[in-house]
Amino acid sequence: MKKFLLPLGVAAVVVYSLLPFLWFVLASWKSPAQLTAIPPVVVPEFHWGFYRSAIVNYGLLGYIKNSAIVAGATTVVSIAIGALAAYALTRFHAVWLRWYLLVLLCVSMFPQIAVAGPVWRILNALGWLNRYPGIIVAYISFSLPLAIWILSTFFKELPYEIEEAALVDGCTRTQVLRLIVLPLAAPGIFTAAILVFIYAWNEFFFALIILTSPPLQTLPVGIALFPGEYTIPWGELAAASTIATLPLIALTLLFQQRIVRGLSAGAAKG
Amino acid sequence: MKPWPALLLLPLLFSPVHAADIRFVTWRDTQGFLDRLIAEFEAQNPGLKIVRDVGPHSSTEFHDLLAQKFRNRDRGMDVFFMDVIWPAEFAAAGWALPLDRFFARDAQKPFLPAAIRANTYAGAIYGVPLFVDAGLLYYRKDLLRKYKFSPPHTWPELLEQAKTIVAGEKDAGLTGFSGQFKQYEGLVCDMMEYILSNNGALWDEARLSGALRSAAAEEAVRFVRDRIIGEISHRGVLAYQEPESLALFSEGRAVFHRNWPYAWAEANDARKSKIAGRVGMTPLPAFPGGASAAALGGWQLGISRYSRQPDLAWRFVEFMTRAETQKRIALWTGRGMAREAVYRDAEVLEQYPQFRTQLEISTRAAPRPPTPVYVPLSNIMQRYFSAAISARDSDIDRLARHADREMDRVLDLLRPRAAR
Amino acid sequence: MKRFDRAAVWFVLPSLFLVALFSIYPICDSARLSFYRMILMLPWLGEKFVGLENYGDLAGDPVVLASLGVTLLFVAVSAALEVSIGAGMALLLNESFRGRGLVRAAVLVPWAIPTVVSSQMWRYIFNDRYGLFNFLLFGRDASRYLAPLAEPGLARAAIVFADVWKTSSFAALIILAGLQTIPDELYEAAEVDGASAWQKLRRITLPLLKPALLLALLFRTIDAFKVFDLVFVMTQGGPADSTNVLQFYGYKKIFAEGMIGYGSAISVGVFFISLALALLYIKLIGASVLESGAAR
Repeated sequence: MKKFLLPLGVAAVVVYSLLPFLWFVLASWKSPAQLTAIPPVVVPEFHWGFYRSAIVNYGLLGYIKNSAIVAGATTVVSIAIGALAAYALTRFHAVWLRWYLLVLLCVSMFPQIAVAGPVWRILNALGWLNRYPGIIVAYISFSLPLAIWILSTFFKELPYEIEEAALVDGCTRTQVLRLIVLPLAAPGIFTAAILVFIYAWNEFFFALIILTSPPLQTLPVGIALFPGEYTIPWGELAAASTIATLPLIALTLLFQQRIVRGLSAGAAKG
Repeated sequence: MKPWPALLLLPLLFSPVHAADIRFVTWRDTQGFLDRLIAEFEAQNPGLKIVRDVGPHSSTEFHDLLAQKFRNRDRGMDVFFMDVIWPAEFAAAGWALPLDRFFARDAQKPFLPAAIRANTYAGAIYGVPLFVDAGLLYYRKDLLRKYKFSPPHTWPELLEQAKTIVAGEKDAGLTGFSGQFKQYEGLVCDMMEYILSNNGALWDEARLSGALRSAAAEEAVRFVRDRIIGEISHRGVLAYQEPESLALFSEGRAVFHRNWPYAWAEANDARKSKIAGRVGMTPLPAFPGGASAAALGGWQLGISRYSRQPDLAWRFVEFMTRAETQKRIALWTGRGMAREAVYRDAEVLEQYPQFRTQLEISTRAAPRPPTPVYVPLSNIMQRYFSAAISARDSDIDRLARHADREMDRVLDLLRPRAAR
Repeated sequence: MKRFDRAAVWFVLPSLFLVALFSIYPICDSARLSFYRMILMLPWLGEKFVGLENYGDLAGDPVVLASLGVTLLFVAVSAALEVSIGAGMALLLNESFRGRGLVRAAVLVPWAIPTVVSSQMWRYIFNDRYGLFNFLLFGRDASRYLAPLAEPGLARAAIVFADVWKTSSFAALIILAGLQTIPDELYEAAEVDGASAWQKLRRITLPLLKPALLLALLFRTIDAFKVFDLVFVMTQGGPADSTNVLQFYGYKKIFAEGMIGYGSAISVGVFFISLALALLYIKLIGASVLESGAAR
């Protein structure tokens, strides 16, 4: 029974995840007339004009570069800061941990739109509007709740005895953190990293108001700038989404391998 | 005292501030004219550089961006684009600079009067119109000719023609009408055209009270719900904005189509449209006893009150809106401009003969009444219209009464303090 | 212990500083504004302190109440669907089979697509004439096509579907990582005892998965309250306000209408409702999620 269910389940999951997107990818190869044909056309004419247009007329590659820089920096720093905080809190001070996690949760619950004004003013005062540090620092702050929550959940699961043993043997806290905790918590860390990266890659609202200068704009803002006043360039949008999603797919392929490797290290502990 | 906080100020040392930079908040240049014009302006004015802040073309999103900057008193903003419904709001909020000293009555004369009216608030002018749009009716020339109809002058006439043609063509995919009825600002434009052409009004500007409950307004709304949407359109139009509604028409699936002037070029583009060359354009119909009403759209240039260099800013605005520039933009893009002379220019007419009809329609276009509280009023109207037309059995009178009450509350805020 | 106490403070400080500056201070400022009447385009009315008047207006505003209903419905349905579908996907992805890495990457594609793109994509798919949705249901017979975004009930379902599609992978990822921390030995021991697949699921997997499930549910619920991009692009709150979620209404009040005080009050309202829900989860399903490891 299982032998039959598994491939069926996998097929269902793949179709569910990819079909809408594939439809959009197909649209990127259609001719302008095919895009809004009634009834819809399934097989496109394999017309590369939209890709050319997206890159040349809409500056797609520049947006991807900016997003990569912003999201990459955000992820690295956010995970670093978050891991430190999560480690400290899960090892001691039960009371602190509970309150800090609650505060972080509350903070992430507050609607972004209301927070936009003060954040803009702070960045303006620092002279960091339309600069990488401004948007990165803002993203780090907004992604910390997610990062710390996920990392704490994983750090908590790790048995403390190993670290105690290492400390008794004379290791310093940082050594314990680096050599024992991080490898064991790798699944959690890479999970948090992927989610933070994708958050920073896709964030739109703050990018719109903080980065108004074209050379710095990130991908979501760039894409929001595609539509004209009354026209939606479906073809270029589809082409841009295809190009823009490829790096993320590559990254997740890479990351998910790390999760598995982290798992084998974790299993060894049992 | 720890020195760290001071480190946060370091970036300030590195932000370049160019005294002769003019900061221009605009959308992306999708048609190529902005890049060319800005290059020309910089060439003609050595030492001046235009630095662009780019926002989305969508009116609501662009408004968000501007509101955000103004609310925080952003001094790094000089010139900006304004949608036709914002000048009163920006003027009252103290965001837009009054431009009377640059743009006096005489200078305003060559512009379309409706556009000037939309930019005027409390006797002063706050924006210089650049683009002008007006709602109009597109129709299938070939189908109307086949059934020996001339373009309809009244809505009931349009209804009959649409029904006859659809029945006669025996094409299951053909409908009578395609318009914009999604719950967004465009809905107010579309509905306004019905209400005003029935001698109704969106609200009573003199008495500062709602007017949706008047017989004329309710009749118009009922007509849209029961006839236009109920009898000659797909239900889908309730989710359409301009792109979807035009796509339906261009696919040859609608006999009549309400849209802005831009649609002419799109519908006649053989690469995208199945009906290229078979499209006609005419003023919107009216109800019997009323006059055709076209909603006024368009974009104007304004100067920020927080700008540090209004005179330089004006130099750019003047350059962009002078006669030669407007004519060139028209030639390059086919967009409707704000100066009347552009529509009469021989060169322009040769390339875009439809400008003749467009001028006729734009001259009589009606702006949505300029008021600082337009957006809240619009949101109330959008809610009302959408509720009224999307349910087949909606109680229009009750909904209108409710909407009027809400509009009264908002309009009350405008009453002089002594009267309250 | 005491020496590490001080070190622990340094470990936590960077995150605390950033969160305080960019989240706590703006939230307090926003909350403060909710007690004022401030209408940007009517500056002559001034910035008056009106105490709880905005909240009173909120309670009496029929749009807010309707909006609250829409939001709660949306949150309940989406979060439930996302976590269940996510759990299903995670269980599947935990099995070993060839090409598992590729399938995992495929599952993340919906989450990876920026919402600005996916909202336009869904608008394209749900179109009543040239959309994939109708094509799948009715083939080439255009006369039977539906208009999902034009009917209130269907429009809500469309938004739920679009949101669930995107975020069930987020839930799947969290639950998957949780699944992988369950030691294989437990399963092996159960097999030796003759347990069936269903029994293994019920007795081993689900209980040990509780923290991850709760985490996923918690975050999905909170995020569902904040849904905005989808509504903005697909329906703008319509038709007839049927998809007017609170966050969208708050945005319209603050940015479009310049009614800062009232809009801030709505934001504070959304916050308190999310908080109430979060506390409810934690109380009902387990405060253990907030405990530190050393306490065990």
